[in-house]
Amino acid sequence: MSDFTGTFVVLLLLITALYMLVNQDWRWAIAALGIQYIWAFLLVIPSWPAELAVVKLVTGWIAATVLGLTRLNLPETPPASGSVPSGIAFRLLAAGLVVLLVLGAAPRLAEWSRAFDIYQAWGGLLLIGIGLMQIALRSGFFRSALGLLTLFAGFEILYAAVEASTLVTGLLAAVNLGIALVASYLLTAPTLEAEE
Amino acid sequence: MSSALLWVVLPIAAGALMLLYRRKDDTPLYLALGLSAVLTWIAWQFPIDVVLQLGSVSFEITPTLVVLGRNFTLGETQRLLLTFMYAAQTFWLLGAFITRPGRLFPGLSLIAVGLFMAALAVQPFLYAALLLAAAVLVWVPLLVPAGRQPGRGVQRAIVFNLFAVPFILFTGWLLTGVEATPGNFGLVLRAGLLLALGFSFLLAVFPFHSWMPMLAQETHPYALGFLMFFLPSVSSLFLLSLIERYVWLRENPAVFQVLLAAGSLGVLLGGAWASQQRHLGRLLAFACMVATGGLLQAIGLGDATGLHTFFALLLPQAWVLWALSACLAVLARHTPSLQLEELGPALRQHPLLAFTSVAGLFALAGLPLLGPFAAHLAIWSGLGLQSVALLVLSLLGSLGLLAAGLRLLYAWLSAPAPAPQRGEPQARGDFANPYIWAFFIIWGVTLLGYGLLPSFLAPVQRLVLMFPQLLQ
Repeated sequence: MSDFTGTFVVLLLLITALYMLVNQDWRWAIAALGIQYIWAFLLVIPSWPAELAVVKLVTGWIAATVLGLTRLNLPETPPASGSVPSGIAFRLLAAGLVVLLVLGAAPRLAEWSRAFDIYQAWGGLLLIGIGLMQIALRSGFFRSALGLLTLFAGFEILYAAVEASTLVTGLLAAVNLGIALVASYLLTAPTLEAEE
Repeated sequence: MSSALLWVVLPIAAGALMLLYRRKDDTPLYLALGLSAVLTWIAWQFPIDVVLQLGSVSFEITPTLVVLGRNFTLGETQRLLLTFMYAAQTFWLLGAFITRPGRLFPGLSLIAVGLFMAALAVQPFLYAALLLAAAVLVWVPLLVPAGRQPGRGVQRAIVFNLFAVPFILFTGWLLTGVEATPGNFGLVLRAGLLLALGFSFLLAVFPFHSWMPMLAQETHPYALGFLMFFLPSVSSLFLLSLIERYVWLRENPAVFQVLLAAGSLGVLLGGAWASQQRHLGRLLAFACMVATGGLLQAIGLGDATGLHTFFALLLPQAWVLWALSACLAVLARHTPSLQLEELGPALRQHPLLAFTSVAGLFALAGLPLLGPFAAHLAIWSGLGLQSVALLVLSLLGSLGLLAAGLRLLYAWLSAPAPAPQRGEPQARGDFANPYIWAFFIIWGVTLLGYGLLPSFLAPVQRLVLMFPQLLQ
């Protein structure tokens, strides 16, 4: 991956992850998640053959679709007013700290590991950090699921460089889909017919 | 036929099929119970990797199943573990008849146990983290039944258990480097830290335990008890496999000291918090924290002693946690909440269950004459030899749990007898229920028998043979 392409992909990854963290509209968040998987896929390509790497892309898209379809069938909840601007500012500040940390840590990680390049280290750590922020700073299962999927996407970029087992790929895909399905179940559970 | 096919694929497939059953009767429960009992019997009776002759038919249970280039191996040395796991599953299914944890329980419990066994079978075994995460995800519909508003506890449980995956998988990669250059202190330290974090999330070690009491307030005690028994048990077996496999872990005394400290802290905090609880569900969660702490302490003793103590503790604790979860689940059906203040009438109406709950808490605290006492004594002796401070912490934790048991006993004995309502039939209590009597007698006799004669389950100590390096 050339310097220009690598930097460009990492920047796009950062934009989509940040957008998911700060935005209020679930539709755009789902779209950003789907697009984020494209950039993650591009960062996995240097480590894996495209036909194996595409599994991550397809899994991510299916997970995004499951979440989107579930959310579509739920009533709209208006965003809490008043605290929104400060909330966005706080989340951006927190994300800024993550970016600073990653800028410092990624080169050392890439140099030390010798398994992944600097762009994979940047991309992977950024997604892990922003995923964590998403889980910690946003409430509700929908946002937690987005955070977990983002965190796992970051982890998978790094892990792909050190492990190319088909079984692990399959199990990670199952866990990603499991997160989406469980979030979908938890979102709809109150509306389902009770057993007894 | 391979062992993994029999004890992993078959239960998962059968469990998935049972989920499709729509009628609201007990057919899936009977089927799951039958399958689980048969799998227990096969594990108990049929050796693995030996050609068996049944009349003119010969067959063999082979130890390895290859899936996508990786092995799932359950060999002869693990046969006793298979028997134990499926016997435990059989008892949990039996308990479901009186506790009613939900229509999905039979199917999902089979899938979960299949995944737990897959976690113990997969090679390289660090992939087990993914299978354990999958088992937790599978269990969610039982923790939050349809029609219920999910709380924050389940969200935190999912997040914390999934956090373990990246740490443990990355450790696997680092460990190959550590094996190549064992003298590289920086690498060993990083691998150790990642491993400690991963297992802290997986075993809900302090400070990552908060999901347990939160979840305990939101969910069915029996569904939670199942998860809080199987997950730490399988995770600690996974930890033992790790120590068994890597020389640098096995021969590093610091590893065992950390385990002892983490276990003792778990026992202390679990016991201390348990003594302050007024909600029985939360009390169960903290009792489980004490139980997991005890398992970590046993592993931390190191060598053959620790291994023997681990299994001597695992079995009676399994017995106690099952009964405690079952009692709480039945009590929860007869009371608006599990708060001690509101529990009095239900405790008076179900004296056998109340007694079992109190005895279960006393047993987990390590009270003499009850099942886990012999293992607790071994842990306390070992701790005393290594660190008096840790021994004191551990004893304080046990005292806390004992105090929780006494508080429950007081709530039971001081509760006024429920006044009979005019025109309403007298509610059916424990004494009129033969199933409760049977449960009470079998459970009590076994617990007391194991406490008085620990050699009663001596053959089970062959479980240690799974870890020959640690045994040396």
